[in-house]
Amino acid sequence: MSTFADSINLSLRRFRRTPAFTGFILFVVALMLNIIMQGIASGRPLAFFQPRSYGSLLMANTPFILSAMAQSLLLIVGLLDISIGIQFALVNVVCIMVPQAFGVPVWVGWIAAIGASLIISAAIGACSAILRLPAMLVGYAFIFIIKGINVSIMPTPQGKVPRAFYKAYDSLVAGVIPVSLIVLAAVFGLWLILKRRPLGKHMYAVGGNPRNAFAAGINPVAVQMKANLIKGFIVGVGGICLTLMTASGNPLQAENYGLRSLIACILGGLGFGGWGSMACGMFGAWFFVLIQNTVYYFFSFLSKVVSGFSVSSYWQNFVSDVILLLGLLMTIITAKEQRNTLKEGFINQFKRGERIDP
Amino acid sequence: MIQLLDISKTYGAVQALKQAHMTVAPGRITALLGSNGSGKSTLIKILAGLVSPNTGQVLLDGQEVFIRSGNDAKALGIATAFQDLSLVPMMTVEENLLLGDEPTRLAGMLDQGSIRQTVASLLERFSLKCQPQDFVQTLPPSTQYMLEIAKAVHRRPRVLLLDEATAALHQDEIDVLFKILRQLRNEGVAIVFVTHRMHEVFELCDEAVILRSGETVKSGPVSDFSLDDLVYYMTGQRMQEAAAYEGLTHKAGQAPLLTARAISLPPRVKDITLEAYAGEIVGIGGLEGQGQSDFMRALLGASQIFSGQIHFDVAKAQFKQPADAIKAGIGFISGERNREAMFADRTIAENIFAGNTAKGRRFTFLKKSAVNRFANQAVDTYQIKVGRIQDAASTLSGGNQQKLVIARWIAMQPKLLLLDDPTKGVDIHSRLEIHQILRQCADDGMAVIISASDTDELMDIADRIYVFYEGMVSGMLEGENKTHEHLVACMMGVCHIQPERQEGGA
Repeated sequence: MSTFADSINLSLRRFRRTPAFTGFILFVVALMLNIIMQGIASGRPLAFFQPRSYGSLLMANTPFILSAMAQSLLLIVGLLDISIGIQFALVNVVCIMVPQAFGVPVWVGWIAAIGASLIISAAIGACSAILRLPAMLVGYAFIFIIKGINVSIMPTPQGKVPRAFYKAYDSLVAGVIPVSLIVLAAVFGLWLILKRRPLGKHMYAVGGNPRNAFAAGINPVAVQMKANLIKGFIVGVGGICLTLMTASGNPLQAENYGLRSLIACILGGLGFGGWGSMACGMFGAWFFVLIQNTVYYFFSFLSKVVSGFSVSSYWQNFVSDVILLLGLLMTIITAKEQRNTLKEGFINQFKRGERIDP
Repeated sequence: MIQLLDISKTYGAVQALKQAHMTVAPGRITALLGSNGSGKSTLIKILAGLVSPNTGQVLLDGQEVFIRSGNDAKALGIATAFQDLSLVPMMTVEENLLLGDEPTRLAGMLDQGSIRQTVASLLERFSLKCQPQDFVQTLPPSTQYMLEIAKAVHRRPRVLLLDEATAALHQDEIDVLFKILRQLRNEGVAIVFVTHRMHEVFELCDEAVILRSGETVKSGPVSDFSLDDLVYYMTGQRMQEAAAYEGLTHKAGQAPLLTARAISLPPRVKDITLEAYAGEIVGIGGLEGQGQSDFMRALLGASQIFSGQIHFDVAKAQFKQPADAIKAGIGFISGERNREAMFADRTIAENIFAGNTAKGRRFTFLKKSAVNRFANQAVDTYQIKVGRIQDAASTLSGGNQQKLVIARWIAMQPKLLLLDDPTKGVDIHSRLEIHQILRQCADDGMAVIISASDTDELMDIADRIYVFYEGMVSGMLEGENKTHEHLVACMMGVCHIQPERQEGGA
């Protein structure tokens, strides 16, 4: 029994040392705040736990969370992509236009959309991994390239998705599990598999120190290209979710996912290269979403109790942004665990003298 | 059998290798020797696939091979432990040891059981105390070096290259390493061993290949060489017995330039009291990690002391930051060139001039010609081997980089110069030059405090030696007490020599 407790204790301690710990704490704090605030504002303490309530929150934010998860892969291999947002719009445009223009089934459009996302990701990967152009500039340039492609395929917002599809996306399995949660879990499962394959280790090595990875017989360019392609696949899935959520096409939407996904990753504890995991991106994105939701409920509560109280949505954004900033500060505090490990190492070194002492 | 024939390599204007050649036979340990800048590291990097030679051939069992990447080297059975490490600091011990060589089972998934087993046996073989899940960046430097070697040995190479593997190791770790290397030799592995420690050559190696200025000047069985020979081929000069230094230079009644009293700075510095007079070289000795570096940084104001008092130049001094210490007349030279002293991508001229910028007024206009004149003068004075002073500092060899840093500080004429293991990884020849420069500085009235991991170096250069043990001074050696035996005993903490300082010295 005690060994079981010990092993739980050990894995807890280990978890506290992982980079995802920061993001996890932020996520838990934001979740509690959201539950409490929503309960107060709606007058029903357990309002959050209504399947419809968390279901629609999940459905509306799954594309953004997937963007952060995709971004996290690039950060791990030492790259980044701020054009990730507009790539969601590309997938959306292809999803809508291929069935509309060629009269093929919806799923063919989806496959074409994932293909488009993979091609764009390969092109971006070639620029940053093979030509070694600065990833920030490549992303910036590709925002305009992709916008151009999107608008030439779909000049104005248009199109629709068959009702059965978007209804299915917005449904609950067994009455409690949102379909979007299953999508998120599937993508995270992909990551867990990846992490347990040599490629997963090689991604960390390349992000941590490309020269040393090369010396160990790893091909950094190939690893960065693979990471880009996996990102492309996740963006494809996320773009399909976006299409099902909006049930229409818009060539210029979701551009802000690019920067927001980066911020979510940093909030979640990812470093620039070789530090962190997809869980960091996921928790960071959750924190982002839950804080905005909480602030919305806070202001609607205020307008209920204070008669005549009304503020523009700018104030809501201001408050949630301040909280995000506090979250960033917290990432510094939770890094303490890593510092402690360092100190232990030094103390061990210091004690060496005792061993030699006769 | 691996042979390198007529290998040449240039970096910009610097010719690192000039038709160098080397033969390494299976079942032999070959020492690759040479001063810094002689091309040893370049030769190792060529075999490891990190650097491509401009001309020349590499033959493996008589067949020409081309090593263009780490992967090629791996395929040919060549494994390398690099001087500047090839570990990924943010990954765990386990991940690093098997990086690029991970065992897999069905469907390409990692075989966790086999990984755990392999790592455990490697850690045991190398007597490493760290855990498989520890992040490498949290481990002390000596453990990291052992891991680097363990990683190379794990690949079961035909050819094992060790580039200054022992520089950062403790004696107990070196013993373990030598035992393993002898085992590998008996198993028929060809081993190339780069070192600056001559006694290790005689203790371990069978063959020696000596490089000078990128050329192979001599090779043969170690038993054919004497220490004097090795140094002669490496430097082109016969060793001279350094004249014994007679006593202290400071005069009766002279006040110390620096007094540090009961300094503590947890966890490593517990209680250090030390004095330094103008015109003397004070040595700080001890096993690695006994508080030497922390103490030096506390004097400089890079870290704040917990208790104690520092007096510098008569006044009480507790510097908030290094810039204050520099203004007061303290210079600091670190052995960690890359981390604490060099701006690798900036030019040599800018690197030499860098110290001066801390002193001048903030908005003073800097003329390029003044910077260059200053740098040229330093390059000439300290015989730094450069292509052009406008080249990046990273083009210089380790020894020349260190001379550059020393030139930077001495040109500023500090009253007190602190050196933290400045000759780490520096060849005998450059080391002697650095010693001469420091002695000249002391003769000109500067106080010099130097910490060194090498006991011979301390005995050679220091007038007095404070030996640190567990964050305290276990002995202050001067005059007749300054013997090798005393030094070693104090380093192990088994003797305490604290002579009362008398007016007029010992």
